Amino acid sequence: MDYIISILPQMWLGTIETLKLFFITIVLSIPLGILLALARVSSLGSLRSAVGVYVWLLRGTPLMLQLLFVYYGLPFIPGIGIRMDDFQAAIFAFVLNYAAYFCEIFRAGIQAIPKGQYEAARTLGMNYVQTMRRIILPQVFRIILPPVSNETITLVKDTSLIYVLAMNDLLRTTRNLVQRDFSITPFLVAGVFYLLMTLVLTYGFDKLEKRFSKYD
Amino acid sequence: MKKIEARNIHKSFQELNVLQGIDLDVEEGEVIAVIGPSGSGKSTLLRCLNKLETINRGTIIIDGELLADTNSTGEVVYAPGDESRRIACKMGMVFQQFNLFPHMTVLQNLIEAPVQVQKRDRAEVIEEAKILLGKVGLSEKADVYPRKLSGGQQQRVAIARALAMKPSIMLFDEPTSSLDPELTGEVLRTMRELAEEKMTMVVVTHEMGFAREVATKVIFMADGRVQEQGRPEDIFTNPKNERLQAFLQTVLK
Repeated sequence: MDYIISILPQMWLGTIETLKLFFITIVLSIPLGILLALARVSSLGSLRSAVGVYVWLLRGTPLMLQLLFVYYGLPFIPGIGIRMDDFQAAIFAFVLNYAAYFCEIFRAGIQAIPKGQYEAARTLGMNYVQTMRRIILPQVFRIILPPVSNETITLVKDTSLIYVLAMNDLLRTTRNLVQRDFSITPFLVAGVFYLLMTLVLTYGFDKLEKRFSKYD
Repeated sequence: MKKIEARNIHKSFQELNVLQGIDLDVEEGEVIAVIGPSGSGKSTLLRCLNKLETINRGTIIIDGELLADTNSTGEVVYAPGDESRRIACKMGMVFQQFNLFPHMTVLQNLIEAPVQVQKRDRAEVIEEAKILLGKVGLSEKADVYPRKLSGGQQQRVAIARALAMKPSIMLFDEPTSSLDPELTGEVLRTMRELAEEKMTMVVVTHEMGFAREVATKVIFMADGRVQEQGRPEDIFTNPKNERLQAFLQTVLK
């Protein structure tokens, strides 16, 4: 027990790194995903297919590969040569990757709204932005809560992929402790940390679903 | 004054010519019932009037304002976006499937467009919405979500929602067709009251009783054309067109 308490401060620092990546990714990738989804269902064929290719690329390759490519690969691309520090690279790769998944979730949600809702909004004189913001998206949010909850929980665990960039997130901190102390206890503590994070998320999404279901 | 003036309306979906040159004139205070077999183009005609469908040829003038016209090269030109939206929402529309907004209460459904689109004062709109709900007999349902209501109640809310925009014309697209028979009465009653207040109405309907008793003019459509039109007593007791005779025989038997 004393040992667990002694490693908690370090593990907490790792958790903060993990949570930073998690929150920044969520805050950026969900709005980006919504915009991509709107493009994906737009009447412009070229826009639709461009987003289609984007989604295919980002969902069709491993996130780990994307991460490595952004960090190690981008600096060497002639003409672009973007060099990012490890945290920026991680954010960049995670946001692009998760936006692709959120795009597909929101697209399915938007397409599940009956045509009559658009028509009613139109006969009431609403323009595209009003229709989307006031009528369609609020209904979409309710439909997509379960898959978004799923995706978010996956993200908590996917953050551990930044291990490969040698960033001191929860997982790497844990691994360092295990090697330093020749004890597997840090692994168990890390497991509990991840479980607590997903527990909070599960609880939060549960609350949200209840709130949105009041009109059923 | 003419409320609706539609000339030579053509509309086709791919190969299918749904409307083949329809003329429609609606005077202020008139109640037009559009009847005809399914697939005759009645609903499409209604949806063309408020631009839910775009026409392939013809002219549409609403309340003296040009919504759509056909130029010399045969191309249909609509009024620009904002303008045609403003013209089109002079017509309130009631759908077969109600199409209430399920995430909003009854009252929110009513005030949404007047506040968001017409930018009217919220408190004032709420007062008017409550009066409208009283008119359709649903005052006590203001804070209820649509799914808690029966079909007939939902449709009456939909009528109130359309009226909240202060339209000068009301379009009804088979308003009772998805209702159980015992619920159609309450909706028809609301529509009848509206007609008595001299609201200009175009009603696509299968309710021959309503067409006969409430309409000032009945239009019979088949195969994308107006086959016969006239006063209800003439249409129902002395039909001249063969298609109309056959149609009345099947629906009035």
